[in-house]
Amino acid sequence: MKKILYLFFVFLNLNAELVLEITESSDNPYRIAIHDFDGQALISNEISSIIKADLQRTGEFSVLSSDELLAEETYQEELNYKNYRLLGVDYILKGIIDSKDEMNITVSYDIYDSVKEKKIRSSKIYGIPNKTRQLAHYVSDGIYEEITGLKGVSSTKMLYVSEGLAGSAKVYKLMLADADGMNEQTLLKSNSAIISPSWSPDSKDIAYVSFETGLAKVFIQNIATGSREVAVKNKYQISSPAFSPDGKFLSLTLYQDGNAEIYILNLENKNLTRLTNHYSIDTESSWSPDGKKILFTSGRSGSPQLYEIDLLKFNTKPKRLTFDGNYNAKASYLPSNEGIVFVQRNEGEFKIALKYFNENFSRPLTESRLDESPSISPNGNVIVYAIKEDKVGLLAGVTLSGAKFRLPSSSGEVREPSWSGYLR
Amino acid sequence: MYIQSKNRNIFYVSFLMFAVSCSTTNNTEESVYNSTVSSVEVSVAEDSVVSYDEKPITTNAVVYFDFDKFTLSTKSIQTLKSVVRAMNENPDMLITVSGHADERGTREYNLALGQRRGDAVKDYLLLNGINDNRVTVKSFGEEYPLVTGSNEASWSKNRRAEIN
Repeated sequence: MKKILYLFFVFLNLNAELVLEITESSDNPYRIAIHDFDGQALISNEISSIIKADLQRTGEFSVLSSDELLAEETYQEELNYKNYRLLGVDYILKGIIDSKDEMNITVSYDIYDSVKEKKIRSSKIYGIPNKTRQLAHYVSDGIYEEITGLKGVSSTKMLYVSEGLAGSAKVYKLMLADADGMNEQTLLKSNSAIISPSWSPDSKDIAYVSFETGLAKVFIQNIATGSREVAVKNKYQISSPAFSPDGKFLSLTLYQDGNAEIYILNLENKNLTRLTNHYSIDTESSWSPDGKKILFTSGRSGSPQLYEIDLLKFNTKPKRLTFDGNYNAKASYLPSNEGIVFVQRNEGEFKIALKYFNENFSRPLTESRLDESPSISPNGNVIVYAIKEDKVGLLAGVTLSGAKFRLPSSSGEVREPSWSGYLR
Repeated sequence: MYIQSKNRNIFYVSFLMFAVSCSTTNNTEESVYNSTVSSVEVSVAEDSVVSYDEKPITTNAVVYFDFDKFTLSTKSIQTLKSVVRAMNENPDMLITVSGHADERGTREYNLALGQRRGDAVKDYLLLNGINDNRVTVKSFGEEYPLVTGSNEASWSKNRRAEIN
């Protein structure tokens, strides 16, 4: 009788610019059975489909829905673990949606381990009006962290830049969206280029480069209020902002010395400290997770290579980190501090590469020709980046477990992704 | 004796399993975070808009560069000689040199590279007697390509410094 509900299976909020496509999954995923949530059917179906997509996008999960399970298992109170094991199911999710009051939805869910034959998690999430998607992402993250031991990133957000046309004029937008590309909101609309968006560690402010004054300038903008200010007021070009992990400093590239040099701006007293001093290009700074080191791109060897400065050993020579290939740039540290992710030129093609500090080689992670702007999820497991396909920019992702996905834009061109920190 | 101890073990094991199964069910409660977002629109005054789309070449002179290079070619120097001549003939003439890069490589590195290309042009002009305060250098990196297309024919036209 309950099966009839599948006929009303509806996807809501399909008006997003970014459309998620999962192209490849990892070899040995966890298999999880997701039963339909008890409660109002439309909301239940929406939440189930979001959770299913979230888990599949991690590349670490294979999801079985109610209709793929043995019919008698679906609605039984007591779980028959043996039947789940027959289907190769490792974990079982059951939940209840309480939506008596239309504006307030509460989800309760339990996760069972089919091998240990017991309940391993029991959680309750209180929703807020019009945030059903976010509620579902919280469930996905709870499942992910219970089973993998790593915090989930489905409830995090992403910044990116879109470029489109309004008549014959270019329109650039700095966009904010959920990690799955849905729920897009415009943070800044401009007729000049925008590049290098990045997050403050508390994910309340963003910094980016806008060409609106005719010259590259770094702006800091509050997401909630929209208030914005120029980070450093002078007549020179300024770019490449990155917040320190404690949120007190912003590293940036200043051009006031007649050449790109990296400085650190104290956000409280606005004092600037010069970090690099070389006649070649120094730019694309990023902070180590402990805030003690800064990674940057420098042309000092004759081609762009990655270097690291130890902030505690000020004035020591930067340490060169990359030696293979003639183009290694735009790097950031893995949150575990075990390695770096960057752009590498290989036989004329640009790929995203990963280098662990305990290895003397780098691993290419992507395979198209013009991959750039890698940004790492806060749990370190997913890298989102920009690619070009048939002249159009779109976003793609790769997980360290080998899964791949794409977030193609249905309108215009998208690029410069930047992943937020944890929001829950 | 042996049997007795075995029974006791079974008791301990089942007690332990009960304790473990109670303590390892992870119970959590949380609320969805409420976030607000504001949108900002920047409307730049008409005279300061960078309008590369309507007027791709706003200059009488463009010089081109090799990939990841900012050295002036013989051909570029010929072009710049005529710029020096024009500036000498018009002592009030102020110029802006805008450096650009092709789409390959990272955007920030290309912004810095565009600056180096603009500086290379400025350095040449200064060496040939042009006063420093008559030349302004800007970079637009790879943001305003002259030609779209992911091939060398397009890239070579985009690796440029425009003088106007």
